[in-house]
Amino acid sequence: MLRNVLSAAALACTAVLATAMPASADDPSPVPDTTAAPTDSGEQAAETGPSPVPSDRGATEATPAPAEEGDGVSVVPRGAPDTGDAPAAGQSGGDGLLIGGGAAAVLAAGGAAVFVVRRRASGA
Amino acid sequence: MTPFSRRAVVAVAVAFLVAGCGGGGSGGGGSVGDGPAATGAPGTGASAAAGSSVSGPRPLARSVPVGLEIPALGVDTPVVRLGLAPDRTVEVPPITADDPAGWYRYSPTPGRPGPSVILGHVTVGAYGDGVFRQLARLRRDDGITVRLENGTAAEFAVTSVRTVAKADFPTEDVYGDTARPELRLITCGGPLEDGEYRDNVIVFAALRATTP
Repeated sequence: MLRNVLSAAALACTAVLATAMPASADDPSPVPDTTAAPTDSGEQAAETGPSPVPSDRGATEATPAPAEEGDGVSVVPRGAPDTGDAPAAGQSGGDGLLIGGGAAAVLAAGGAAVFVVRRRASGA
Repeated sequence: MTPFSRRAVVAVAVAFLVAGCGGGGSGGGGSVGDGPAATGAPGTGASAAAGSSVSGPRPLARSVPVGLEIPALGVDTPVVRLGLAPDRTVEVPPITADDPAGWYRYSPTPGRPGPSVILGHVTVGAYGDGVFRQLARLRRDDGITVRLENGTAAEFAVTSVRTVAKADFPTEDVYGDTARPELRLITCGGPLEDGEYRDNVIVFAALRATTP
């Protein structure tokens, strides 16, 4: 009987480990882009782009001021805007489910162990 | 095997099942349903506002936009200012929860003649959907209202919605001069390729009314 209990406990531990493995193998939650929050004040502040490399001072000075009264776009940007930071595929939610699954396995295994021990104690 | 040892084995098996469901759910929940492909809805047309006449509401005085409403999409968001990134591409709004839209400050203010350009994210990474997540669902004549700093508001009507490959971004259509006040809303769309969206969704709109 003791062997049965021990093997049940071993199986439960295996279940917990099996569910915990993918969670630990997962990459840490993604670091959001450090896109500079555009500020409302000052011309210079708006020129600090998302890249931390502050090497383009010349471009900053060469940039014309925004059109005050002139109509139309005074500076045409280069290329297409990158307005989509790809969704983190199942990162946070996935971890939550893994943790939930592991916790459920622990609870179920504990319940099974208690059940076995009590049955054994009662001599059934 | 005695009856209760059998029960113990059954209990452990249940534990396995429960754990397995949790793990499986995580794998499926990450990318199902809200994938970027849903955003890449085909555009409703290729022409911008070319068909409309130049006449319309009188242009508003210059005043920077502070808020944007798109009733058809349930969008009501503040608007920040955007400039140029060091690589001369347009800046984009910050990646945050409840990300705002951003007005490209080298474009006319909304309600002034010319194309006023406002950008927003379709998704914001771990934060989920961006403010312009549903932009591709806009249809012709849907209303867009931009609130300006001086208390006035410009109401635009959608003239077309286009989904274009970023490689073929229609710079002239978006930033080119127009005789009347117009609006461009831009976000990303299409399928994800190497973690980046392949397309841009661009909404073209023309001034329909103003609120003093």
